[in-house]
Amino acid sequence: MTALLRVEGVDKTFKRANKSSVEALRGINITVNEGEFVSIVGASGSGKSTLLRIIDGLLKPSGGDVFVDGKRVVAPGRDRAMVFQQDSLLPWKTVSENVGYGLTLAGRPKAETRKVAERFITMTGLAGFESHYPHQLSGGMRQRVNVARALAVDPRILLLDEPFAALDAQTREIMQTELLSIWQESRKTVLLITHQIDEAVFLSDRVIIFSARPGTVREEVKVDLPRPRTLEMKRTPEFVGLLDRIWKLIEEEVRSGLKDNQ
Amino acid sequence: MFDFLEQDTRLASALRILLSTVTVLALWQIVSLFVTNRLLLVPPADVAVSLVQEFWNGALWTNGVATVTAVVSSFLVSVVIGIAIGLALASSRLLSLTGGPVLSALNSVPIIALAPLFVAWLGLGFASKFVLVLMVAVFPVVVTTEAGLRAADKPLIEAARSFNATRWQIFTTVTFPYALPFIVSGIRVAWARALVGIVVAEFFGSFAGFGFAILSASQTFDTARVLGYVFMLGAMGLIGSVSFAALERRLAPWRQE
Repeated sequence: MTALLRVEGVDKTFKRANKSSVEALRGINITVNEGEFVSIVGASGSGKSTLLRIIDGLLKPSGGDVFVDGKRVVAPGRDRAMVFQQDSLLPWKTVSENVGYGLTLAGRPKAETRKVAERFITMTGLAGFESHYPHQLSGGMRQRVNVARALAVDPRILLLDEPFAALDAQTREIMQTELLSIWQESRKTVLLITHQIDEAVFLSDRVIIFSARPGTVREEVKVDLPRPRTLEMKRTPEFVGLLDRIWKLIEEEVRSGLKDNQ
Repeated sequence: MFDFLEQDTRLASALRILLSTVTVLALWQIVSLFVTNRLLLVPPADVAVSLVQEFWNGALWTNGVATVTAVVSSFLVSVVIGIAIGLALASSRLLSLTGGPVLSALNSVPIIALAPLFVAWLGLGFASKFVLVLMVAVFPVVVTTEAGLRAADKPLIEAARSFNATRWQIFTTVTFPYALPFIVSGIRVAWARALVGIVVAEFFGSFAGFGFAILSASQTFDTARVLGYVFMLGAMGLIGSVSFAALERRLAPWRQE
């Protein structure tokens, strides 16, 4: 297996207006192999969303480098696509137009864009909703559009920023299984950010645990559960054992984070 | 029992307008039964008769052409200029910081009070009307254009950037569509202001127009004619307001829910 994504010694410090600065990330080293599904979990404030934005090219690191397929990342590129937490869909465009947005921006011909959009609309279970507008859809449906839009540009790596955080628990479980089947079908490399440990374990080949303030890689846990995975697996002793192990690793962080906020 | 009137259909909204018009006319008619001094108030029927007379003798047409050409042309130009200034202010922080206070100062000056000056500078007729209307109508468009462009959703812009959008593409696919309903609401206010502007301009210096007709009718104590022309202006205001509001809804259907 070859490393498709390499994060090498990435630091990020935000300068505030009052000259003070906040260290969000320190010395992050991560590799993600081609076709792998990797999750990053951590308490809030562990800088995991910041890291994802650096990998996508939306933010510049203060130090260190990100390489995708050997090329250094300096800006957003066609080899990466991001699925955002908030539904960042254009409210004045239909589902079909939103899914094709990345291709439209890339100047692809209309007919081709529509055809590609159609394929991913079907894959994400949105068939029949092509001409709906985002405000006519439920939260879960909107996140499907978000996923389809990212897949449509055919990226090497799919970056998911807490994509199901805003959904209710039942919808989230359904979306997790759907994401798995989409991943199996599209064979994309996926890097997922989440604060839901069970989500990370259920979906991933590897879970990377972040510590908070500044975010550092605390530990990496390999998930050896067989695939394809089903929701029933969430109740197996192996699964629960993994949850327990990861929870113990970040419990302390979460508790100290709670104290900070008081 | 009046549920059907609350529905969001074209028929229901037409019925609502009809209902409120009839109510106002009825009240007016009742009040004019008690106020019998015809210098103070005339019943709606007399106003209608007076308007029909104005139509047949051609005065309504002459005045209408004068008012409509001036107000519409000036309104359109102020929309274009207003959007242009709003774009400039939104795209440059420096310009917004330096030009903003000047604009809001100009906006708070009652420009209407300068009408006699405009007439002195530009003479009686089209030019002074055009400039006065422009001065009052341009500001709401400037303000809402700048505000709308600055209001654009940050996550939407981030998503566009993530998909490699250029600055121009971010403007055309995110910022501008987002600002459009704001701009249209500014245009709606501008139209109402333009109508006030045109009447005042015509009061102070013109030979034709609804404002001119209202002034000359009131000087001959022809209350029916005064109200007839006021009715025409009201109708113009209403048509503009209803159509711009409809345009706003069409451009931003997601805001309703």
